[in-house]
Amino acid sequence: MKALILVGGFGTRLRPLTLSFPKPLVDFANKPMILHQIEALKDVGVTEVVLAINYRPEVMLNFLKDFEDKLGIKITCSQETEPLGTAGPLALARDRLMDGSGEPFFVLNSDVISEYPFAELIQFHKSHGGEATIMVTKVDEPSKYGVVVMDESGKVDRFVEKPKVFVGNKINAGIYLLNPSVLDRIELRPTSIEKEVFPKIAADQKLHAMVLPGFWMDIGQPKDYITGLRLYLESLRKKASSKLATGSHIVGNVLVHENAVIGEGCLIGPDVAIGPGCVIESGVRLSRCTVMRGVRIKKHACISSSIIGWHSTVGQWARIENMTILGEDVHVSDEIYSNGGVVLPHKEIKSSILKPEIVM
Amino acid sequence: MKALILVGGFGTRLRPLTLSVPKPLVEFANKPMILHQIEALKEVGVTEVVLAINYQPEVMLNFLKEFENKLGIKITCSQETEPLGTAGPLALARDKLVDGSGEPFFVLNSDVISEYPFAELIQFHNAHGGEATILVTQVNEPSKYGVVVMDEETGKVERFVEKPKAFVGNKINAGIYLLNPSVLDRIQLRPTSIEKQVFPQIAADQKLFAMVLPGFWMDIGQPKDYITGLRLYLDALRKKSPSKLAAGSHVVGNVLVHETAVVGEGCLIGPDVSVGPGCVVEAGVRLSRCTVMRGTRIKKHACVSGSIIGTHSTVGQWARIENMTILGEDVHVGDEIYSNGGVVLPHKEIKSSILKPEIVM
Repeated sequence: MKALILVGGFGTRLRPLTLSFPKPLVDFANKPMILHQIEALKDVGVTEVVLAINYRPEVMLNFLKDFEDKLGIKITCSQETEPLGTAGPLALARDRLMDGSGEPFFVLNSDVISEYPFAELIQFHKSHGGEATIMVTKVDEPSKYGVVVMDESGKVDRFVEKPKVFVGNKINAGIYLLNPSVLDRIELRPTSIEKEVFPKIAADQKLHAMVLPGFWMDIGQPKDYITGLRLYLESLRKKASSKLATGSHIVGNVLVHENAVIGEGCLIGPDVAIGPGCVIESGVRLSRCTVMRGVRIKKHACISSSIIGWHSTVGQWARIENMTILGEDVHVSDEIYSNGGVVLPHKEIKSSILKPEIVM
Repeated sequence: MKALILVGGFGTRLRPLTLSVPKPLVEFANKPMILHQIEALKEVGVTEVVLAINYQPEVMLNFLKEFENKLGIKITCSQETEPLGTAGPLALARDKLVDGSGEPFFVLNSDVISEYPFAELIQFHNAHGGEATILVTQVNEPSKYGVVVMDEETGKVERFVEKPKAFVGNKINAGIYLLNPSVLDRIQLRPTSIEKQVFPQIAADQKLFAMVLPGFWMDIGQPKDYITGLRLYLDALRKKSPSKLAAGSHVVGNVLVHETAVVGEGCLIGPDVSVGPGCVVEAGVRLSRCTVMRGTRIKKHACVSGSIIGTHSTVGQWARIENMTILGEDVHVGDEIYSNGGVVLPHKEIKSSILKPEIVM
């Protein structure tokens, strides 16, 4: 089976992290974002993944060579020369998605994390015999999204963008399983799959929706990235709790890479991920945060609800909170306070940031 | 002769421009910053330029191959693996700077623009017979800088005073030096400051001389000074090669327009404007005190002042862009938008006005 992952553009919402790496390579729970998806696809027998990108192919391709070998799955890039929207890339990659076997292929949005129940999705798709299946997820405030109106069997009636009255509370989760015939509905031009393609398949009574079990999050911006980590770790607690850290210094769900070092007297968690090669010195408090590869957190520092980018340093007794995002190679001095500072790569922070602002 | 250009690090002060290219390759007056220096060095007979860098060598090296061929000068990189300050890079590049001829070599800070009077500098250096010559420039507020105290008649440097509280002189280090190879014996391969550690020693030995830089000088490493620097540069161009400046009823003051740029009817351009290669300035546009970089389109009736518009960007119809607005690469400002000092990172669309100076990421 094949899969297409819509990687898209510049990842500006995830800056400053995406100033150092293209978005799919930004780590989430200690693993490049896109690897979560690729591994889940491999698990259900996908043999080739095509990444639809329009930015920085060289960086992506280098990374992918690494993972092609390790994972034993073929990974290629399909590069848009002009933005093709959410459906156009499928037309662009047509030849790679159609292998003549008639099997359906997956399409995923790269920002989405979930439990990736691909085996159940395949089953559901085969049982309804329709042309396309989309996964939907339930949300509290559907009026902000595109709502998918469906019947009990899952057949999709219609889509309603940002409905003013209540029509349903399921929205498009950005995970699809499509028959090759869907490609005949898509021209090679900027096209929206939600606005142009799916409504037509729904009108032909051939579009079905499956409610996504488990968690779902679009982690394309820092606030949702942090929430997403909480959901991901909760799920890990249920499915593979041995991967989580344990000990008297751990509270709630915490993921610590085996190469990371944690000092004495720390209190870590809940909802923390600590990446490879990190050094957490003694007496550090971490909660609801991500500490990326190669970071050093010095003694007695206190970090909450923030993201600390690769190879950065947080000084002694520093207090970092309220959606502070440090880019790559940022060095926060001792005793500094950051309230929502957003710091671009290769900077030193020698004075406190009292209110949320960008430091360039 | 050889030259070393201290390129240094990440160019963070010139963000967002330096998020797309390393600082030496950011264009100034329609030419990569570093090319201004390299061309001036070639003109006085420098055959090899070493760039002391610590960031993005691949991008630099690609660019340089192009220019090595076009200019007929050898350009190499010397990459610091740890920051070496302002003198350490000289030790690192020692083997490239010392060619056995005994000739002095140039050292330049990459952010500095001036008229690069290198021939006069060589003459002055040979005449005084000292070990090192630094160019100094006169400033109005010397207390903000490191002041060079020198004998006004001979130029011999007595001492340096950092940010002097009392008046000791008004000449500061212009970041352009001509050094004998023996200076390299004074520098170890570790983080070292040339101004604080090396030059004071040479001055104490009575072997350091300073020459006052004729013409303009500017450190264009940050946007405000980049814009001032363009004014000074174009002033100098008016005196030396006025034929390079644009002329016509639509031009006011000093304006540089690349030959591949297109300017529509009814525009008023200038003073102190540069319009880069492949730019399209549509009809009825007003541009003053700004830089419009390569491949940018300014749509009809827009008004841009005191700003820098990055490469391959668009400014919409009737848009008003002013007060140190800096647009990065590939930024698209919608029609009728107002930007008061917006600083916009690359690959963004601006669909609502920016009412006060802020960074848009």
